[in-house]
Amino acid sequence: MVFVSLPVMRRSLFLIIGLCPLPLAAFAGDPGLNGRWRLEAAQSSKLDGWTGVDLVIAADGPKVVLRYDMSWRQTKVSAVNRVDTWHPVSISNFFRIDQRHMAVYAQSGQPARVQAEWIDGGRTLRVEAEVTVEVSQGNQVMRLYDEFRLLEGGGELELIELHSTRNRPLVYFFARVADASPTTP
Amino acid sequence: MKALLTAIFVALLPAAGLRAAPAAPVRAACVMHFDGDWRVAGGLPEKAMLIGLQGLANRGAPRFYIVQAPSYQWEITGPLCDFYRSAYGVAFTEVASADQALSLFGRYVRGYVVWDRNAPTSLNVAFTIAGLEDALVVDDELIPLAERHGLRRIEDLRGRYTGKTDAQITSDARDRYWARCNHDSIILMGGQSGPIRVPGMADWGVQGRMFFENLSADPGHPDELALERRFMADLNPNGTIFGWHPYGKDTEEEHTTLLSTYGLKMEGLQSLPNLSFNSQFTFTPGFRFTNNHTIARDAHPVAGRKAYLSFIQSDGVGLGVWTKPGRGRIPLAWGAIMSWVKYSPAALEYFHESATPKDYFIGGLSGPAYMYPNHIPAARFGPLMHEARDLMAVLDERIFEIMDNSAADGNVGNADLTKETVDRYYREFPDVIGFVNGYGPARTRDLRDGRPMISYDYYVDPGRPREEVAADLDELIALNPIRPYFCLVHVRETNDVNSLIEAIGSLHGPVEVVPLDRFMRLAAGAKTYVTRYQHPDDPKHFTAFDATPKKAP
Repeated sequence: MVFVSLPVMRRSLFLIIGLCPLPLAAFAGDPGLNGRWRLEAAQSSKLDGWTGVDLVIAADGPKVVLRYDMSWRQTKVSAVNRVDTWHPVSISNFFRIDQRHMAVYAQSGQPARVQAEWIDGGRTLRVEAEVTVEVSQGNQVMRLYDEFRLLEGGGELELIELHSTRNRPLVYFFARVADASPTTP
Repeated sequence: MKALLTAIFVALLPAAGLRAAPAAPVRAACVMHFDGDWRVAGGLPEKAMLIGLQGLANRGAPRFYIVQAPSYQWEITGPLCDFYRSAYGVAFTEVASADQALSLFGRYVRGYVVWDRNAPTSLNVAFTIAGLEDALVVDDELIPLAERHGLRRIEDLRGRYTGKTDAQITSDARDRYWARCNHDSIILMGGQSGPIRVPGMADWGVQGRMFFENLSADPGHPDELALERRFMADLNPNGTIFGWHPYGKDTEEEHTTLLSTYGLKMEGLQSLPNLSFNSQFTFTPGFRFTNNHTIARDAHPVAGRKAYLSFIQSDGVGLGVWTKPGRGRIPLAWGAIMSWVKYSPAALEYFHESATPKDYFIGGLSGPAYMYPNHIPAARFGPLMHEARDLMAVLDERIFEIMDNSAADGNVGNADLTKETVDRYYREFPDVIGFVNGYGPARTRDLRDGRPMISYDYYVDPGRPREEVAADLDELIALNPIRPYFCLVHVRETNDVNSLIEAIGSLHGPVEVVPLDRFMRLAAGAKTYVTRYQHPDDPKHFTAFDATPKKAP
């Protein structure tokens, strides 16, 4: 019987994996997801406290930048989540599309642990995060599960969001912004 | 002939006013029913003329009342008319036309002033002149009607303000008329702009010889803001801005912040009708407010292991929900407009008399009228809150509501109070059993001397699907895991109570909807909420005004 040390076994495993003809999607998303997407409010879960949402996706290998350009009356907010489909990351100002009529506040001083993965052949980006929020009774952790799905035809994006604390999913539909203009609605 | 008979009838109205009693002999007044056409190019000119006439006719006695269309923002004009009949013994005679109204009340008018449809802001100048000169407000098409009733031209604004900005028009009017106007109050005739204007409060301004303006408080309009500051600085201490901010130019937050820095009070809205009539009544003899308290001030109820919800509607009791089906099915607290003790006692008595056992009145908003307390000068805070306490005592109210959206953006954002402001409220209101804060959600919370200050955890948007409302409330309950959890909910005035009840019924886990006073006493005994005030690092939407009022040059 031959015993192989753990580091050697791990290197071998990586070598085997590297030689396997895995689908490219295991490492990269569909380039069709890249670009600016604008919320289609009428088709989406009712969103309180925001009148406009633009989502800008820029994927480069395992690195994915999710930028949110939010608007409400005179308020304009831009926020970025940088995720990595290879490694969990810690994001100090994790942004989520919040229902602003609820007293649930982001806590910038509490980093969120975030995991991301390309699934469904790269057409879906799955993001899971543990986010600390401030509520009446203090700080609480909310577990988020997001899927950013490129829909058939490539012109629409669906974001499904589950909260560990919410018994209904939030579903948002976005349409591709053709000219990729930086303005929000 | 009918007009003549009515004119004789009204001429016999008692000049001393109607201090009516239910058992008193029938008193006479006139009523006119308006349609809902407020277009500048449609029904506005005649309505503006009639509302101004109402202000003149009601000087000295309540003679002329207007019932608005069912679609009107203030839905109480019809029910209140019925209440004047039943409780005050007022016998109303219907006025069918503007011509008839002039026949009835022309004797209170000395002449007419012509405003210019091509410069709609000139209507404000015309209302100002109307109050000072006892003038009828007409546009060019109504001149023949005025002259048929023997009225002569006092001023003609046509062409005077062509091509002028609002700042230029108002500055000119200030130079001409302000010195002669009432300096205790001013009419901010804002609200809608463009093709629709709703100057429902103009009767009150004309009656009281107030200056009318619609200046912006947006720092992006420096000329208008500077002029508005001059008016506010000129007003007497404890002055009042009646009306509402101009929607097309600035925000409610900007204007309310500005007037609060001068220690002034806001009495809205610019569409509020009949103050010239309502203000001349007192409560009926022997009437006394008795609020629907459900718990003793010093009771110590023990909270269970559940979530407690309590609901408040604070947008002005005369707006919306009160007249809609469903009221009385759940405990609901109402932000009564306390100053109506002075301006519309009959309306407050009407609300009291039509209240169900589940309706509960609370004081506010932030003071004796609407203002933002983080910006009230320290020297003015005490006198203003003294006035508020007196009004609360009349209305038998034990809970006070506070709202400061100076750093918010509409009904979202930072609506919190500084610790200094919270300290002031606890000092000035030793007899309340609790404070409510916010409009949209907020996170100012405290508990001192067994008296909680709790902010709204949720705002029910009227357009939000009820299944989402239920999911939101369930989520708040899940996010606040300690029991009891105290969840204060603000119900926007246009909500449907019946659908709200359905949403509550679908919540998961032990939940109880309780009256607000019981909610406060329960929260006093189980502090599961975290003390918090506005923090300097909290995001602020609006910070453009400095806190020091500028005196007029």
